[in-house]
Amino acid sequence: MIPLLGYQAALLLRSHRWLPPLLFYGAVMGIGVQGGQPVLDSLGWAAAALVPVAAWLVRVCVTNEPDAARNCSVAAAGPRRVHLAAVLTGLTASTALAVAGTALVAAIGDPRSADHRVAVPVLPASLAGLLGALACVLLGTGVGALCNRPLLRSPAWAVPSTILAAFLVMFVSGSPANAAVTGLVTGSRHGTVTMPLLPLALAAALAAGATAVACAVSARR
Amino acid sequence: MGVGRRYGAGGPWVLRDIDFEVPAGTLLRIEGANGSGKSTLLRLLAGIDAPSAGRIVDRPRTAYVPERFPAALPFTALGWLTHMGRIHGLGRAAAAAAGRDWLERFGAGGHARTPLAELSKGTSQKVAVAQGLLGAPGLLVLDEAWTGLDRASRALLDDAVRDRVAAGASVVFVDHDPRRLAGAAGAGYRVEAGRLTRVPVPADAPAGPRVRIEAQAPPGGAHLPPDLPGDPHRESLPGAVRLTVAAAHSDALLRSLLTARPPWHIRAVTALDPRTPGEDPRP
Repeated sequence: MIPLLGYQAALLLRSHRWLPPLLFYGAVMGIGVQGGQPVLDSLGWAAAALVPVAAWLVRVCVTNEPDAARNCSVAAAGPRRVHLAAVLTGLTASTALAVAGTALVAAIGDPRSADHRVAVPVLPASLAGLLGALACVLLGTGVGALCNRPLLRSPAWAVPSTILAAFLVMFVSGSPANAAVTGLVTGSRHGTVTMPLLPLALAAALAAGATAVACAVSARR
Repeated sequence: MGVGRRYGAGGPWVLRDIDFEVPAGTLLRIEGANGSGKSTLLRLLAGIDAPSAGRIVDRPRTAYVPERFPAALPFTALGWLTHMGRIHGLGRAAAAAAGRDWLERFGAGGHARTPLAELSKGTSQKVAVAQGLLGAPGLLVLDEAWTGLDRASRALLDDAVRDRVAAGASVVFVDHDPRRLAGAAGAGYRVEAGRLTRVPVPADAPAGPRVRIEAQAPPGGAHLPPDLPGDPHRESLPGAVRLTVAAAHSDALLRSLLTARPPWHIRAVTALDPRTPGEDPRP
């Protein structure tokens, strides 16, 4: 599995197809996050933006290998493991973005509540922000795994489905990503930090399930 | 065990009730018309596709070489081969060494540092072939892998396939040339109307140059050593024997005669024109 992950990671880095999702994340952060804003609000924004970014990075990774080369690696390692390596590479890339985004917001945000009256402890707030970001990354990864090959092969279906599903996951109440972001933003009103552990656990389970389905189907097409 | 494959739940069966075994150390030839399902069968064997019905069991580590390898990958030839060698279970240094070695054998050593996207069609195919061989897989699946290779590389791939089979691996191949690896193939199958039927493989047709060796029996009239390399054609002469063998095996055959106990005396070695086997020694 390690050689496959190394191969997929090198493929992602050298293809430079990580650049558009990175620029998108940068633009969204530029719109929603400014220095001196309440830190928990900004952390919520930074986390929510990761859902489409993670889904996009998974799409990049699972479509990155040309068919002729994919046939060779699939013969050597099996379709499930090749697909799993691609999804995990996307997940790793968006996790790196989550860490960087959280660190940036923690550095420039104002460690106080939304009305700037109640102090918010920086380290617990950053940890809550990171966990929320990870919940969003995991859910976005699940969306990317379910809305792209092998389940949806044509870009005509895969791209709109990925976008639609990513927005549903962000905005529908009851989704772990929405719960994690809402927890951060609500905490900001009163200056309280709540760790989004339940949303994170649910997001991890959903992402694992979605990836398992995609890997199981990858041998069938 | 009745393996079948169709594309889409309601699609027609491309292959049906395929039931066959690839024994270790054999070379299997698959033939069939265009669109008959040869490539589908090879993809099932290589594990790229799963069967829609039935199961494939006990597949060893497998390498697959496609007919065309226009891979727009952001790697150099050697960089990609190193990754593939690692996926085949080699260490980083061993994978790089094997990749370099196979590129050099196919005369593409100078392209080791060339990006894959800049390689010519033939050199790309050499890289794909090197990928199939560098991991010494237990099963090698060649889907018209000779297409696009130059003459020397085609012969080299033939030799490499024979070596893999001799080392105990299984090789399954499809090729347009009906004489490809003639004599080496253990069995042949034909894909027709979704079914697989066994067909005779072409006998050892003299596809390449042959060599005739006249050897004099040692005093006392010893028998020829058993298992002569290349399974030569034998003609008895008074007190001697005339052996005709594919040129690729001639050195090994000579060695076997000279190292026999007691050794045979070589009287003449003659290269034969490939088009007129067994006749007219070359002037």
